[in-house]
Amino acid sequence: MRFTSWQSSPTEEKVIRSILKGFDTKHPETPYLYQPIPGNYSEKIQLMLGTGTAPDLFWLKGYTSPSYLSFNVLKELDDYIASDASFDNEDFFPVFRNAFFKDGKCYGIAKDFNVYVLFYNSEMFEEAGLEEPPADWEELYTYSKQLTKDTDGDGKVDQYGLVIEPVHEMLMPFVFQNGGQFHDEAGNLGLTKPAFIEATEFYLKLYKDGVATIPTDVGAGWNGDVMGRQQAAMAISGAWAIPYFKENYPEMKYKVAVLPKGKQAATLAFSTAFVIAKEAPYPDDAWKLLSYMAGKEGMAEWTQSGIALPTRKSVAEENKFYEHPIYGTFMESVEFAHLYQIKFMERWSDEMSATMQAFFYRDAPVKESLQKLEEKISKYKLK
Amino acid sequence: MKLRFSSVKQEQQVWAMIFLFAPLLLLGIFVFFPIVFAFVVSFYDWNLLIPDKPFVGLANYSELFKDEVFIISIKNTIIYTIGVVPTQTFAALFLAFIMNQKIKGRTFFRIAFYIPAITSSVVTSIIFVWIYSKPGLLNYLLAGIGIDAQIDWLTNPNTVLPSIMMLNIWTTSGFFMVSFLAGLQSIPQSLYEAAKIDGANSWQQFWNITVPMVRPITFFVMVMSLIGCFQVFDQIFIMSSGGPDNASTTMSFFVYQNSFKYFKFGFGAASAVVLACIIFASTYLQKKYFPSEAY
Repeated sequence: MRFTSWQSSPTEEKVIRSILKGFDTKHPETPYLYQPIPGNYSEKIQLMLGTGTAPDLFWLKGYTSPSYLSFNVLKELDDYIASDASFDNEDFFPVFRNAFFKDGKCYGIAKDFNVYVLFYNSEMFEEAGLEEPPADWEELYTYSKQLTKDTDGDGKVDQYGLVIEPVHEMLMPFVFQNGGQFHDEAGNLGLTKPAFIEATEFYLKLYKDGVATIPTDVGAGWNGDVMGRQQAAMAISGAWAIPYFKENYPEMKYKVAVLPKGKQAATLAFSTAFVIAKEAPYPDDAWKLLSYMAGKEGMAEWTQSGIALPTRKSVAEENKFYEHPIYGTFMESVEFAHLYQIKFMERWSDEMSATMQAFFYRDAPVKESLQKLEEKISKYKLK
Repeated sequence: MKLRFSSVKQEQQVWAMIFLFAPLLLLGIFVFFPIVFAFVVSFYDWNLLIPDKPFVGLANYSELFKDEVFIISIKNTIIYTIGVVPTQTFAALFLAFIMNQKIKGRTFFRIAFYIPAITSSVVTSIIFVWIYSKPGLLNYLLAGIGIDAQIDWLTNPNTVLPSIMMLNIWTTSGFFMVSFLAGLQSIPQSLYEAAKIDGANSWQQFWNITVPMVRPITFFVMVMSLIGCFQVFDQIFIMSSGGPDNASTTMSFFVYQNSFKYFKFGFGAASAVVLACIIFASTYLQKKYFPSEAY
């Protein structure tokens, strides 16, 4: 039996190896081979599946899951879930329990999650006389404006209120907050609905009015970098910013809050699944390993490292995630988190990225561009 | 065992075949077979993950020419090639001409110009990502001469392609310089002496002796750099991922995206075949209208 994952950091590798060691002591009768893929993960998995050399158990990126589900290359897990008494599927938060479903059947177990929250620099807030993080869009705008300033008096802004990225993932929470969506249950696109257009316009206004910046404008790699360099007071990011700040900007004082709400509270959730290949030669052994790693023990150890957050309620409760000053915000966000799984061929993502770039770098008109985009991607719908 | 041959010629042929067999086998498996296979795949709706791979005839090709991004990628690739090939060839020849003079520190300069060519394209691309960034070296130097260019060269749709073109010219000029140097050394010194006696200056010597005498090399360099430009991929992949808004999507990047990201191997193969046809046609035209042995 073979198990494959990617490894984005040495910490991640250490934790995986340690969890596997725990599995070895508990199930010495189940031999397996762990084969991590360091780069171009999705490409490699695709080739392995296509050539019949896929690992039995592997990680599947959440945003690629609709394609894999529609291509029918994964094993249905319902029987395993039902017959494994120790697994306790009901323990998962509903949004993640139902994340990897097709036609009412479960094909993947959400191993962890991440959501977008608002990181803010508490010193900058204090300095500006602001006590609470922004609660809604209006406050987000006015606070950003208030926090945007020229600190050294050379006539150029060197502290922005907010930093956003010109990517569609970061636009989507605003769309959800405004009551819009990418597509409905039936797969009808909602890009040209007023809710979507309004949210896009608001998102762009933050940048065009100069109260928010984007990383490339200040020569940074990403949001966290901009905030760490004190060039922005607020940033939208996931939990991956926490170890980054700790390592690179340990002296920065920051807090986190749920994203400011629009018409309703909403954020975007990211999740990775454990899946078993349909043609796996050892599916039973693969499930054993899955059940351990995504079980209470495995998940507790995995999320303890702070890499990601637990999708099991019991793990979150027992390890005091709710009480934690930072992770508590993430857990709170689960209530109104939307998964971002678009049931279209992956080209939609690049088309949408191109449109976002056109908004930011070419000043493209919002409504016309979204109309054109909807027309283009409608033909990539997955069956 | 002793092999018997009826003639020396036959003996040579048999031995030649034996020695050629291993490399031919490797080439066959890893080069010729994939080329033929890609051509076959381009007529199918080929998704690796779905066992059912229906034959669709020319549908991939007709879809291709209706695809906006593909048309943009052809345009970008042609702009890229037209910008890079002549500049690069001339720069390489010019560098070689200078490096062939007896100047101080010649070895140092030769090495300096050649180093970019042997450096991994990933490394040079990442260095240039920094140089082209908003607070990067390029804007700093421009500010030094009084131009306050506050632009991020790689996210500006108007500058991204020229920026990557500049990088490619820089890295490959040194490489082709070496080819030209070899060519320059084979030009008889007597031609230059005769020209000097006739009163030709360095510039006239360059245009009237050097340029025509290295013509076969120029042909080689042009063909190689043309093919290289049409296939440009690594720099695009690392520096801009085809963005912003497809302003730097080239044909090979399009092939990659479709084959490995969108699960459309047939469509990707069709675009690769079109790319191959363009390369073949342009090389053919070059050979026809700019023959290498005109002198």
